[in-house]
Amino acid sequence: MILGKLGFLSRRKAQTVARLQERLGSFRDLVEKNDRVLELIAEASEKLGGEYIFDSHYLQTLADDLREAVHAVVHDLTVVTGEPYPELLKALAAADARIRAALDSRIIVPEAEYVIPLDQVGTASTDVVGEKMARLGAIRARLGCRVPAGFVVTTHACRHLLDEIGATESAEELDRLGEDDGDQLAQCAKRLQQRVRRATLPRGLSRAIRRGVTRLEREHRCSRFAVRSSAVGEDGESSFAGQYKTVLGVEPENVCSAFQEVVASLYDPHVVRYRLSRGLPPGRGVMAVGCLCLVPAEVSGVVYTLNPASVEDEDLLVVAARGLGKVVVEGDGAVDRFTVARQPPHQVVDSTIANKETMLVASSGSGLAEDPVDEKLREEPAVRGPRLRELAEMALRIERYMRCAQDIEWTVDRDGQLFMLQTRPLKLPLPEPGLRDDLSEIVKQYPVLLNNRGEVSCRGIAHGTVHVVEDVEAAEKVSPDTVLVARTATPKLAGGLSAASAVITDHGSSTGHLSAVAREFRVPMIVNTQIATEVLEDGVDVTVDAEENVVYRGRVEELLRYELRRQSLFQDKPEFRMLRSMLHAIAPLSLRDPQAPEFTAASCSTYHDVIRFAHETAITALTEGELVSRSSDALGVRRLALPIPLDLTVLDLGGGLTADAKDRVVGIDDVTSRPLRPLLEELTADGVWDTSPAAMDLNGFMSSATRSTPLTGPAAARPEPNLAIVSDRYLHLSLRLGYHFNIVDTYLTETRNDNYVHFRFAGGVTELARRSRRAALLKAILERYDFAVEGTGDLVIGRIKGVSATTMVARLRMLGRLIGFTRQLDIFLRDDTLVERYLEDFLTALPHASRAESFKGDG
Amino acid sequence: MKRPVDVLVLDDESVVCDRLKDHLDNKGYHTEIFEESQRAIDRLADKWFDVVITDLRMEGPTGLDVLHFVRRHCNSTQVIIITGYAEMDSAREAEYSGVFDFVTKPFSLKTLEAKVKKAARKARRLKDKETP
Repeated sequence: MILGKLGFLSRRKAQTVARLQERLGSFRDLVEKNDRVLELIAEASEKLGGEYIFDSHYLQTLADDLREAVHAVVHDLTVVTGEPYPELLKALAAADARIRAALDSRIIVPEAEYVIPLDQVGTASTDVVGEKMARLGAIRARLGCRVPAGFVVTTHACRHLLDEIGATESAEELDRLGEDDGDQLAQCAKRLQQRVRRATLPRGLSRAIRRGVTRLEREHRCSRFAVRSSAVGEDGESSFAGQYKTVLGVEPENVCSAFQEVVASLYDPHVVRYRLSRGLPPGRGVMAVGCLCLVPAEVSGVVYTLNPASVEDEDLLVVAARGLGKVVVEGDGAVDRFTVARQPPHQVVDSTIANKETMLVASSGSGLAEDPVDEKLREEPAVRGPRLRELAEMALRIERYMRCAQDIEWTVDRDGQLFMLQTRPLKLPLPEPGLRDDLSEIVKQYPVLLNNRGEVSCRGIAHGTVHVVEDVEAAEKVSPDTVLVARTATPKLAGGLSAASAVITDHGSSTGHLSAVAREFRVPMIVNTQIATEVLEDGVDVTVDAEENVVYRGRVEELLRYELRRQSLFQDKPEFRMLRSMLHAIAPLSLRDPQAPEFTAASCSTYHDVIRFAHETAITALTEGELVSRSSDALGVRRLALPIPLDLTVLDLGGGLTADAKDRVVGIDDVTSRPLRPLLEELTADGVWDTSPAAMDLNGFMSSATRSTPLTGPAAARPEPNLAIVSDRYLHLSLRLGYHFNIVDTYLTETRNDNYVHFRFAGGVTELARRSRRAALLKAILERYDFAVEGTGDLVIGRIKGVSATTMVARLRMLGRLIGFTRQLDIFLRDDTLVERYLEDFLTALPHASRAESFKGDG
Repeated sequence: MKRPVDVLVLDDESVVCDRLKDHLDNKGYHTEIFEESQRAIDRLADKWFDVVITDLRMEGPTGLDVLHFVRRHCNSTQVIIITGYAEMDSAREAEYSGVFDFVTKPFSLKTLEAKVKKAARKARRLKDKETP
């Protein structure tokens, strides 16, 4: 209408059209860049699976490409809408900074409480509590290991302290020094140490620590503490092991100063020189600090889940001393050594018993003291059979959970209770070259259940019992020895995945969400095998070799041992850590529902959020603004004439309509957009638009009601303009049908990793119960077709991605039918039993063949 | 028993060396890794390798220099050049000097292994011809 009026003022009209064309051009560019970003994210996430070799140049290029594309998306958004987005730019700058920090191996310290109780550490990020405490929290929460009571002073607290006393700035001075500046380096480091030790703690911090201490005194009758470093990043614990300080036997009133002493060890001249030698900025570093009740130790020690001196043997090595374990860890006292079989019942294969004249105990004052060991006990073994068996079982459980051989510190208190104090990957000699090749001969004797089916999305080797997932919700609780086998790689399995030993699916892709979660938790995973749920039976014992993509029946000990012995898992390489940490600032999507109040620029925390927000906001500007609601030949806006009463406007970004479609009104035959065509064909197919539930062969049920009810519901609304924004491969469809609002956003190419469908359904005029029945029905249908579905109340959001073009077409046809089917469904869903009936009807009405065919296409 | 295939890997990024060694050794190859090109060249002067996998751009002698050295001194050795994706121009230059194949970073272990296998077969064939 506006353009029509402007026709009298041709210059102004020309200007308006030019402006609209510019906005449309920017929107095209936005869609293209948006897809580019999604493609880069998918590729980058795939690199974490271990199949690819990449280096730091790749990470740099990736960061540059992503940054450029995301900034272009935001720029395009400002052109499309004519609005500035200061909050979005702020969010983008923060994500940029996190990615830059990851590339520099710097640690961005997340905002957190100063102090977190150890029993709440289970899910905290290592960036907050450090690696040592994260592992301790995990074995406590996941495996039920007994660990000392305690709390963690977070990295946030540490950084706050360093900032307050100006240490961060002085540390930059340290960064400018090199290996040649030996003396200067050491002096500068010592000055920093002094400053940390002598600092007055920020009041909030000292109060939080004291509160933590008081709680432990009160609730656990704890009178002495162990204050331990818990390092973050920079290869973490594995390479900085033993470099940072631990203070034992700390009295309650000295915990704050012990905390400072431990933090000061960040600048110990040895540590600083070590950093430098490893090519790390010497002054950087941040840690969390664990403050644990000191267990009054009767006996303490270390257990290695493989004996580093003879890794070929199937043994654990246990070292034990009377009293506290410091002598065992530091190797400067008389200790007993036991070689224990890994196989149950964990017999003692060999032992050497030392004459243990003294032992370390917490002194009556602060610190430790040496006490004489009772003469009768000196030459007695510090631990015996049953305790060794208990230790072996616990250590092997931890090893299975951590997926590599472990070096574990433990202690037994005066009541005979076993505590785990620390666990970390055990360093072992490199396997012999060619070991894997020899293995290929050995493994031939094991029956193969799956061989080279589908693709590996996370490399690794694991053993477990098959659990075929029937009920996704129930898969939340799986034991660590479970191999999850599922039909689809639905993100709903993510909850159970972290505890599983491996995951195998019939469908799905290595760029899907679940694959990304598997890589995050390092769970070996094979997807798209087509037949796993048929071949792998519930309860069968299998070994999953997600290195060679083979699944064996039974326990292939040789393979499992090979996996345990690998010197360093690829995930521990600095480049993998960097990529993982970059992806945290890039890939997670928290803005899921555009209608939710938190769908704002300020809520964006990753690149993915930013492009999602930009894409959605641009679409809204186009669909709700004046741009498209007025048809304009100059913009290529067309009306689609359909054999059903649906008013649909099409905006072609390029290749979505035939070149011949010059008229303002075009037909389905003119539609060349790959996603729109099948959806429309199905929506306009015989019986679909008319297919109210009653007509779907429900034995006449409700048929009279159907006939007497207007199609748009009891109070028909004014027809709203419906819009399809298309290109040859893209479709954004907004349909307001009566009181329902459907959105389909989809991308369809021959590259399956780029393909996705996002479907959203909301609205409805009926009462809440019927609406939620309708949501339940939609959810059930979408899940049958492998969509990941979420939503609350009346809202249903379904997503599917990484599937083949054939599957995409089948899914879009299904959605075409679903849109027709649900137009007024809520009006009929009078009670819950009808949900199941309509579901069956829908599935019956859609030819089953189209589903089966689509899966073949995924192969 | 057949002698194992000797592979020399040269890349200034330790992650590339370590992961290739881990993978190729486990596949039965004998792999030596170098992060400095001059050291790799010195080693090539001492010992015959079936296959050399080298990065293109490094401090000191470049991947091209290594290739030229191999072509002059180690007749039947086959060279696979790793390139970053912006380096294809100099890579093409190398093509004319008798490189066996290229692989562009990031690359999959499967792709590389297939190339190494083929290169090793060619190296052995040529070597057998050289020494009747």
